[in-house]
Amino acid sequence: MGYPHAPHPRETVVLSKYFGDPEARTLDGWKARGGYRALEQALGMDPVAIQNLVKESGLRGRGGAGFPTGLKWSFMKIGDGKPHYLCCNADESEPGTFKDREIMRWTPHALVEGVALASYAIGAEMGYVYIRGEFTEPIERMTAAVKEAYAAGILGANAMGTGKTVHVHVHKGAGAYICGEETALMNSLEGRRGNPRIKPPFPAVAGVFGQPTTINNVETLAAVPHILNNGAAWYKAFGRADNPKSTGTKLYSVCGNIARPGNYEVPMGFPFKEFLWDLCGGPLPGRKIKAVIPGGSSVPILTPEECEGALMDYEGFVTAGSMLGSGGVIVFDDAQCMVKQIARLARFYAHESCAQCTQCREGTAWTTRILERIEAGQGTMEDLDTLLDIADQMTGKTICVLSDSCATPVVSGIKKFRHEFEAHIKAKRCPMLPDTTPKIAAAASAAAA
Amino acid sequence: MSVREEGGLHAPAHAPHGDAGHAGEAPYAPVFVGARRRELDELLTRYPTKMAALLPALWMIQADRGWVSEEAMAEVAQVLDLTPAYVKGVVTFYTMYHQHPVGRHFVQVCTTSPCNVCGAEGVVDAFLEHTGCRELGVTSPDGRFTVIEVECLGACGFATPVMINEEFLESVTPAKVPEIVARYK
Amino acid sequence: MVNLTIEGRPVTVADGTSILEAAKLAGVLVPHYCYHPGLPVAGVCRMCLVEVEKMPKLAPSCATAVAEGQVVHVHSEKAREARKGVLEFLLINHPLDCPICDQSGECELQDYTFAEGPKESRLREPKRFNPVEDFGGDVVYVTNRCILCTRCVRFMDTVAKDPVLNVSERGDRAVIGKFEGQDLTHPWAANVIDLCPVGALISKDFLNKARAWELDRTASICPNCSQGCNAIVETRDNVVVRMRPRSNEDVNQFYLCDYGRLNYRWLNRQDRVEAPLVRQRNALRAVDWEVAVARAAELLKGKRAFVLASPMLSNEALFLLGRLASATGGAGAFRVETGPEAPLAGVEDLALRADRAANGKGAELLGFTRDDAPLNAMQSGDVLIVADEELRGRDANVLAAKVADAAAVIVVGTSLPAWAQGAEVVLPIANCVEEEGTFTNLRGRVQRFLQAKAAPGLARPSWFVLGDLLAALGHGEPYYAASDAFAALAADRPEFAGMSYDELGLKGMTVAGAAEPAGVAS
Repeated sequence: MGYPHAPHPRETVVLSKYFGDPEARTLDGWKARGGYRALEQALGMDPVAIQNLVKESGLRGRGGAGFPTGLKWSFMKIGDGKPHYLCCNADESEPGTFKDREIMRWTPHALVEGVALASYAIGAEMGYVYIRGEFTEPIERMTAAVKEAYAAGILGANAMGTGKTVHVHVHKGAGAYICGEETALMNSLEGRRGNPRIKPPFPAVAGVFGQPTTINNVETLAAVPHILNNGAAWYKAFGRADNPKSTGTKLYSVCGNIARPGNYEVPMGFPFKEFLWDLCGGPLPGRKIKAVIPGGSSVPILTPEECEGALMDYEGFVTAGSMLGSGGVIVFDDAQCMVKQIARLARFYAHESCAQCTQCREGTAWTTRILERIEAGQGTMEDLDTLLDIADQMTGKTICVLSDSCATPVVSGIKKFRHEFEAHIKAKRCPMLPDTTPKIAAAASAAAA
Repeated sequence: MSVREEGGLHAPAHAPHGDAGHAGEAPYAPVFVGARRRELDELLTRYPTKMAALLPALWMIQADRGWVSEEAMAEVAQVLDLTPAYVKGVVTFYTMYHQHPVGRHFVQVCTTSPCNVCGAEGVVDAFLEHTGCRELGVTSPDGRFTVIEVECLGACGFATPVMINEEFLESVTPAKVPEIVARYK
Repeated sequence: MVNLTIEGRPVTVADGTSILEAAKLAGVLVPHYCYHPGLPVAGVCRMCLVEVEKMPKLAPSCATAVAEGQVVHVHSEKAREARKGVLEFLLINHPLDCPICDQSGECELQDYTFAEGPKESRLREPKRFNPVEDFGGDVVYVTNRCILCTRCVRFMDTVAKDPVLNVSERGDRAVIGKFEGQDLTHPWAANVIDLCPVGALISKDFLNKARAWELDRTASICPNCSQGCNAIVETRDNVVVRMRPRSNEDVNQFYLCDYGRLNYRWLNRQDRVEAPLVRQRNALRAVDWEVAVARAAELLKGKRAFVLASPMLSNEALFLLGRLASATGGAGAFRVETGPEAPLAGVEDLALRADRAANGKGAELLGFTRDDAPLNAMQSGDVLIVADEELRGRDANVLAAKVADAAAVIVVGTSLPAWAQGAEVVLPIANCVEEEGTFTNLRGRVQRFLQAKAAPGLARPSWFVLGDLLAALGHGEPYYAASDAFAALAADRPEFAGMSYDELGLKGMTVAGAAEPAGVAS
């Protein structure tokens, strides 16, 4: 079983090894578990050599997009005379995802070390950790860890006595899903509305404060010290032999209608069916799994049949018709109304749209209203076409992908669960709810008879 | 979700420094004086621009005053060389800043899909009932609670997560609500 | 330089040009809302999406730089469908209140919807509603019509540099907001009304005054200060109802200050002199033009003419008045009302200028002095010509003495103030929107204005009247077109050498040696 339970024997615990171990939270505890060796080693290396090592490991972004981390780092031109910045994206807010939270709660020093190491590797003297405002405990843990690291001389103008400058600063968000989008995060960090920016320019050219910036997810950065400690080959060995594009271990957050929700760490390429049934315990007693969203709410919904042969890595989930995304697995069982849940997801995106792009601002809200109307039994068959049309207009046309993310569950939902939508429309109510239609006509005819 | 009082067409002008037209109301006391000011000045060394300290500064205001008033927005604007309108644009973007006073205990219940399928709606109902708020966004008559639904709190495996002020509660069920409510005086 | 093809038309543009601007040069309009050439690119309306061959997605043409060999389709099926989608999204919550909307007829949402929008709405829910808000200054915000293009916010931020507007809230709850008690009182704030592509920001002054299609629009120059902002004078039934900016990169870019744009009512004055007047039997009586001009010439014969001219007069009128003074051995003077300067911070050398009249610089170049000093040389027996100067304000009495001293007073003007009852001849002229002419702005830029409305009664263009008078005195032939009067000026004055109405066009030219500090010529 994965955290909050003891690790399942089939898990490969690298990042989550010390989840639930309060001693790992302290600097001494973390050092006793091998912490900060990687940073010390890295500070003696050429930054480009670190970039190359990470490139070789095959590590890819764990935030959702899966961009090769070493390649991203290599866009930063060391010695260009400009201040460089590292941003750690700890705004984890993709529904279904709660892995970064646990990394920060249990192993804050793992992240401090990763941030410090990455900052050095990209020529940055400052690494900002942007944590969503709702994560009060992770913020507290991270702040304490940073403080400890400064006190111990690990961070600062003479990091670990090497003469190198490495600063880490925790920045608290204030409630906006969109700030998990990298350029929105940068705007937010600068004290602006969290509006995504038009790219180009890309962050490596003009990121936060207009300077070259690299932005990485918590899980990505937490993995880096392990690569330094154990080598690229060790990291690459996790994964299936026939897919060298996905390497290492991956943390999955599993939630919804599942027997054992929690965080699980498995190597890339793990079979999804075994994951769901063996590790996570399958559906709740007496229930059947109806749908699974494998990578956070923004990726296409899969049916149980589609989950059958799926392999859990970037390419495997694409083959299955979805995406790895952020690794947030949401399970819906047969007691759930898909129309209601898709409407609920759409409402989430409507609430979180930053309001810049027309398609997103208007489309997310309109989609929500139509879906809620169908759920309330007021829908028509034409509404389904309208929804698909709107979804098409919302896809691939905006600055960021929030709009697309709203359209994705709608399109895959209507495609795969059309019968549920039609049932709502025909019955003029949600078939999952008790029928409360007044039986006046029936009562009258009974009386007449 | 955010419940705001609509001023309408002819809303009475809000005195920017609270010193006129509000009989009986104390004049606005600035937040950024003394220790808070030093804290902000220290924070400014962590960023290359003053503007970057806006979100942390707003957090300080909310910590001290419980909400972010227009007077406070004007103050922070002045302290960080921004305009009040700019600050207001930022404040209204982020859902965690309160633009009006809320109950002593601000209850946020996650109701996004993963929690929704685990019964979050029942948790909301239980809070509305046991706190006496009855309606979302409305402060209970005794001033203790305000309950809102909130989008994904990022603890989906611990459905239903509930935030009460800075405290983060996991795996809340309707049955646990009366005991939780009793804990917050 | 970069070569590309837009809608099949080859075009070569500078590196870094946006596709949208390149398309303009190719003669192709890419529909857009948030883009404005005077503002930073926002890229948010997504209306300007175009299909670029070899690009996987539609590209926002305002935010995409041209590249060598690009092939761009603005009107392909894919691009048109995307625009139709944007229009549908913009319209779902937009009120269908065109019949009562001031923007109707000049609304880009209306125009593009008419051209390629969806025929009917698929929205079955009630529309979003937000109350109207008074933004202060001349601006009212009709929230429901807003499409959140943020042009107004960007103007106040980056051009006015007075960020009093913001985007408040987010998602479909977002609106343009401001801070309570801080209004759009910046002296250039009303430009947000012009920048707004829809009827969300509207002018209180113009509210419900006229429909856009009833207006006649004339290229003109704002006469209210010496900046010389290019303007459009809009009239309805021969009444000026609105003045708006006309773009001129070298003078006012796209903008017009609030003082200038709202100060148009004097152009509609009803107390105008409508007929030539001559003193007969101790009173001013209306006569034919021939009689009045002959009488004026008779009074001037063998006399020195001293001229007090208004700096609101055209170069042409001032040139002819100056010639009258110099030919008779007299001199000319003018007075300018002044007020505080109000610069537009984001545009170089653009301000509401202290001189609250259009042509002080022209008057100086044409031999007039900026105070009454030349008039001190007047002796009894000299003739005083007062040209459209009402002698209001500060030292009307001093001048009244001179009026009393003069052998005769000739008024060439638009109105008849009380003191002018003592004049021998009154020659009624058109004001600056009733005739054609040129002004010279404070930087020496000579710019044309066209006739926007008819002059009242028998009033004639100033250049016409003065040309006649000079001809009656034996100086040259009368002029039959403003361009002829200007040609005479250009031939006579080295600073204006080489200029003609054709050369000036609608953007103007700068006088020779304009870089030097303003000095009085000849």
